[in-house]
Amino acid sequence: MSTNELTLSADKKKSIALKITTYVVSILLTVMILTPFYYMIREILFIKLTVVHGAGDNTQILYEPREHMITLKEFFALFSKGTWIGFRNSVIVTFISTILNIYFSALTAYAITAYEWKLRAAFEKFIIVAMMIPSTVASIGFVQMCYKFHLINNLTMLIIPALATPMTVFFMRMYLKATFSREIVESARLDGAGEFRIFNQIMLPLMKPAIATQTIFCFVASWTDEWVPRIILIDTKKDIFTLPLAGSYQGGALLMFLPPIILYIFLSKHIVEGIALGSVKA
Amino acid sequence: MSRKNHIERHYTKWGYIFVIPFVVVFLIFSFWPMASTIYYAFCYLKHAGNTNPEFLPLIGKSWYQNFKDVFVAKSFWDAFKNTLLFFLASAIPEWILAFWLAAMMTDRRMKIRGRFLWKTAFFFPKLVAGSTLGASVLSNIISVVGQGTGYTIAASMMNGFGFKPEDFEFFTSVRFVIILAMLFMHFGITFIYAIAGITGIPVEVFEAAEIDGANRLQTFFKVTLPSMRPMLFFITVVMVVDGIGTYDIPSLFGPYDTFRTNLTLMMYMEKQAFAGSYAYDKASAASLILLAIYILFSSVIYFTLIRDKDEARLKKLNRQKEKELARSI
Repeated sequence: MSTNELTLSADKKKSIALKITTYVVSILLTVMILTPFYYMIREILFIKLTVVHGAGDNTQILYEPREHMITLKEFFALFSKGTWIGFRNSVIVTFISTILNIYFSALTAYAITAYEWKLRAAFEKFIIVAMMIPSTVASIGFVQMCYKFHLINNLTMLIIPALATPMTVFFMRMYLKATFSREIVESARLDGAGEFRIFNQIMLPLMKPAIATQTIFCFVASWTDEWVPRIILIDTKKDIFTLPLAGSYQGGALLMFLPPIILYIFLSKHIVEGIALGSVKA
Repeated sequence: MSRKNHIERHYTKWGYIFVIPFVVVFLIFSFWPMASTIYYAFCYLKHAGNTNPEFLPLIGKSWYQNFKDVFVAKSFWDAFKNTLLFFLASAIPEWILAFWLAAMMTDRRMKIRGRFLWKTAFFFPKLVAGSTLGASVLSNIISVVGQGTGYTIAASMMNGFGFKPEDFEFFTSVRFVIILAMLFMHFGITFIYAIAGITGIPVEVFEAAEIDGANRLQTFFKVTLPSMRPMLFFITVVMVVDGIGTYDIPSLFGPYDTFRTNLTLMMYMEKQAFAGSYAYDKASAASLILLAIYILFSSVIYFTLIRDKDEARLKKLNRQKEKELARSI
């Protein structure tokens, strides 16, 4: 009896120690992560940045402390015309490409899960292989293709390729594998619904957690993507550049981080949790 | 029975129809560029905007000329070493930290509060500072997290122990700062996916382990990890893709410094193809090497994580049984 109590209390002590360690580490990490944002906000509100163009490509950034906090007029002056053009282009590219990515990835994953076609297993293997090789490896071929079809300096080349993203398909497939029920589809068929309608009106709402999770990640990836715009949108004289390429520092930085935060606030409740997603067999 | 089969077959065509958009776009925008990149690696293709590749043996050069050019360059080997160093040195601590925290926060006995807040906080850097426009944030991350930690380690090592300043030079170098910044930028993603994976495991499994008297470490390695294998695979692939293809954080330290401490393979490729020299052929050869690294890491991950060994063995056994049955009949 006494030994039993002893081990119990020892276990409890260990538990409390672990708990405290976890809290301390998390708080430490959070402080380390959030301090830079405090500095950034302070930089915007209290420090004046001026970019001085020197000879050639040399630019120098001067930091001057403001005497008072930023006024509304000065605040709006942070956003130059270029920033707004970049913002508009970024919004167009990111919104369309995220919607295409999510919708068609869900459709593809549904096709793998719901129908027993012959090449299904092979196609799934192919998705797994494709997701392990990022498209950035083929950048040279991509740029050459753009040159050939005169699609350089064109926003469509940032949008269309997002339609086929193996990574998203794999995630959706993982989710469907755990939650899909054939009975729903069959009963919908009995009620006379077409296959497209079953997907749009029944399956898509059921996949909401997976869609929310992937929307956040795809949006952030596309919004902050710098690689593809930098190699494709090379003519800086035209108004074709996305926000990461726009050269305004403070206003651009503000516009850069607001949309992802707003999106995250709306979608974070739905992030996948607690469903048998990780399980090997459902 | 046959009627049901007939109905099923009637529907299977929709499987093909639904994957058509994906397959078409993938073939045009991913497969074709990949194939042509492989071809260009064996061609002569220089100067900006040149779209006229010439196959190397046809113009009287050896087919491996581009690879030779790449392998001879010392900057390539520096980039190669840096890429592997940055990836391994940031991914391994990140993995341990993220999984340890995820396991602690999902532990039923400990009841850690505010999981949602932690998730948001850890994901925050990726959310707001993914590109160079987040440079003001990133450079603050670098100075606060990177250099702060580095100097703290260096200073604490100096206090006794008899270390010389040369011994902890690494902790104040650019490389260490890049590694820490990469870790912090990517840590949140791994954490969120790890939590999603662990909470997906049925509670009964953990209860059973608890009753059998497994401690936390045993539970984690023998129960948690094997039961979330698909998610684990996904996490690791995301990690490899982001880690080896990294260029945004290192390129914040300037395009090149004399010792090439921040040069990665992606930066090397960009340097060759798009910034300055426009040697598309050499860059293609470099990206093939990058591809080889990806394939190497991916196959290791694939064969250790996704392939179900027990299931493969079961299939083999079943096949043998069927054969024996057939023979006996």
